[in-house]
Amino acid sequence: MNKSIMMLEINNISKTYRKGSEEFIALSNVSFQIKKGDFVLVNGPSGAGKSTLLNLIGGLIHPDSGEILFNGKNIYNQKSSLINEYRKKHIGFMFQQFHLMPYLTVLENIRFGCYSKKQIDNIGLYIGKCSLTGLENKYPSDLSVGEKQRTAFIRAIISNPDLLLADEPTGNLDPVNSIVLMSLIEAYNSTGGTVVIVSHNPEATRYSNLNLSLERGRLIDLQIEQSKF
Amino acid sequence: MNPLKLVFKEMWYRRLTSAVILLTVIVASSVSVAIYSLSKASEDETRKIMREQGLNLYIFPKGTNLIDFYSVNNTGTFPDNYVDVLAESETFDAVRHLTGILQIKYPDWKDSNGSTHQIVLFGYKDEAQQKYLPAQELMGFDVKKGTVHVGALVARNIKPEEQFIIKGVDGKQYSFKIDKRLEEGRGMMDQGVAFYLADLQQVLGMEGKINKIEALGCVCKDGRIKNARKQVQSIFADLEVTEMSSIADARENQRVMMNKYGAFIIPFVILSCLLITSLLFYQNVNIRSREIGLLKAMGHSSYTILFLILFKAFILGLAGGILGFFIGNWIAQYFGKEIFSFTAMNIKPIWAIFTYTIVLFPVLWMTSSWVPALIATKIDAAKTLSKE
Repeated sequence: MNKSIMMLEINNISKTYRKGSEEFIALSNVSFQIKKGDFVLVNGPSGAGKSTLLNLIGGLIHPDSGEILFNGKNIYNQKSSLINEYRKKHIGFMFQQFHLMPYLTVLENIRFGCYSKKQIDNIGLYIGKCSLTGLENKYPSDLSVGEKQRTAFIRAIISNPDLLLADEPTGNLDPVNSIVLMSLIEAYNSTGGTVVIVSHNPEATRYSNLNLSLERGRLIDLQIEQSKF
Repeated sequence: MNPLKLVFKEMWYRRLTSAVILLTVIVASSVSVAIYSLSKASEDETRKIMREQGLNLYIFPKGTNLIDFYSVNNTGTFPDNYVDVLAESETFDAVRHLTGILQIKYPDWKDSNGSTHQIVLFGYKDEAQQKYLPAQELMGFDVKKGTVHVGALVARNIKPEEQFIIKGVDGKQYSFKIDKRLEEGRGMMDQGVAFYLADLQQVLGMEGKINKIEALGCVCKDGRIKNARKQVQSIFADLEVTEMSSIADARENQRVMMNKYGAFIIPFVILSCLLITSLLFYQNVNIRSREIGLLKAMGHSSYTILFLILFKAFILGLAGGILGFFIGNWIAQYFGKEIFSFTAMNIKPIWAIFTYTIVLFPVLWMTSSWVPALIATKIDAAKTLSKE
């Protein structure tokens, strides 16, 4: 692969959690690269370090060693305000638990992810695409889990981030809603968005072009689906 | 989304917690305002009781035995213009209502039946207006020239429509129109007659002389008598000062006690409420850990998170402070009527403390939420957002 076109380079990343005298190696010398437009599936058993990897890419936790380059720049080699800016401008997060603000309506939750008027103007379009029309003024407590996750999806991508990081986004969804959500994520990917998704859902392999398998913090397998290139 | 809107939406969503925090501010604010207002009313009450009792400080020639004012007719005197000198002094502010008096025992006053009585004569100089102090309502006797006020016991010996007649030292009979026949129960004045000072000086041949100044001691931090004595003696070393009012002392002691009580109870209530608020904010931050984690994940800075918590504390502190001010005033007026008979109708909102209220309580409540807000900024977004 040509290094110059890489969006994200993960080089020898290690992360260990310590609790008292106990140590838990979450990631050990993990390296791989992601190009713009990739759909990366991260899988592995529980405790393999999948979420830690996502949080490291998202700038939420610092690695113990190694570097993460975004467009050639080490994201952890900058001030915290710039890391915040990195998250705001380039990253969209999705979580298994949706994490919608309970006191904001669907519309307000999505608006919360907007940083420009143009993005606000696009909300209607995404609401239609995600079959949330008519639910704009409902609160999360009035929504089904599928509707909640679709709202969280729009909030994550409404600012048109370069990278969508999704941690088990279908973990709480039934098969039908899982397929709907995965097709929405794929649609985002097909418009040039890069996706890194942690999922146990076998369905996800249909959309990914890069599959990473982690086990006990180590990258044990990396498969590149050539047809995507 | 506007962070302000986010704060208001969150407050409404968790309205029970917000209401409890608001209540703590209201309690702290209303207790502070009520105690301060009642303490102020107590001070006014003391002042009015002292006025009601009459003048309570005597200024007289050094060495005079006070008992002589009622038993002899030759106590030491001093020039009546001493009063004017004191009133003109820029530094003399420990006493008010300076009234120059000539008080002499008159052992052989004859009534219209020819009976002889021992009476006391009081000559009152016009109350001095102190040049460098704000004008006040006059106290004491306001006896007009050519007239007298006669005490109840003396009045019994003078028929209605009769004038008061007294023999002067020059042997002449002087007659005065009786302007007032005083009610009994006024102590020594029951057997006395009050004159306009110049009239009595003429009768007694003591022009320009007085033998005491009566005045009202102020409510001073370091004590009425001590301060008044120091000020008088710095101007006239030949005068001394004594205090005559024990009731005023008792009332003032009560006022001081109330101030001390307020100085303990106000900080105690405020600190208790702040502690409760701090715990409620801590609980609020714990409940909102995922929201805060999400804010971080979305790139919001620690300052935004601090702002969201502190602004909530500010809003609740401001609203509670304002509500507490009015509730505190209502409490002061409601209970003040029962406690303070003289000043009950005058217990009104003290607007000067309203300004303090709207500044102090938001600042205090923001301070109480400071530690929880700092904890919020330290929340590990990765950890809270990954929790199932």
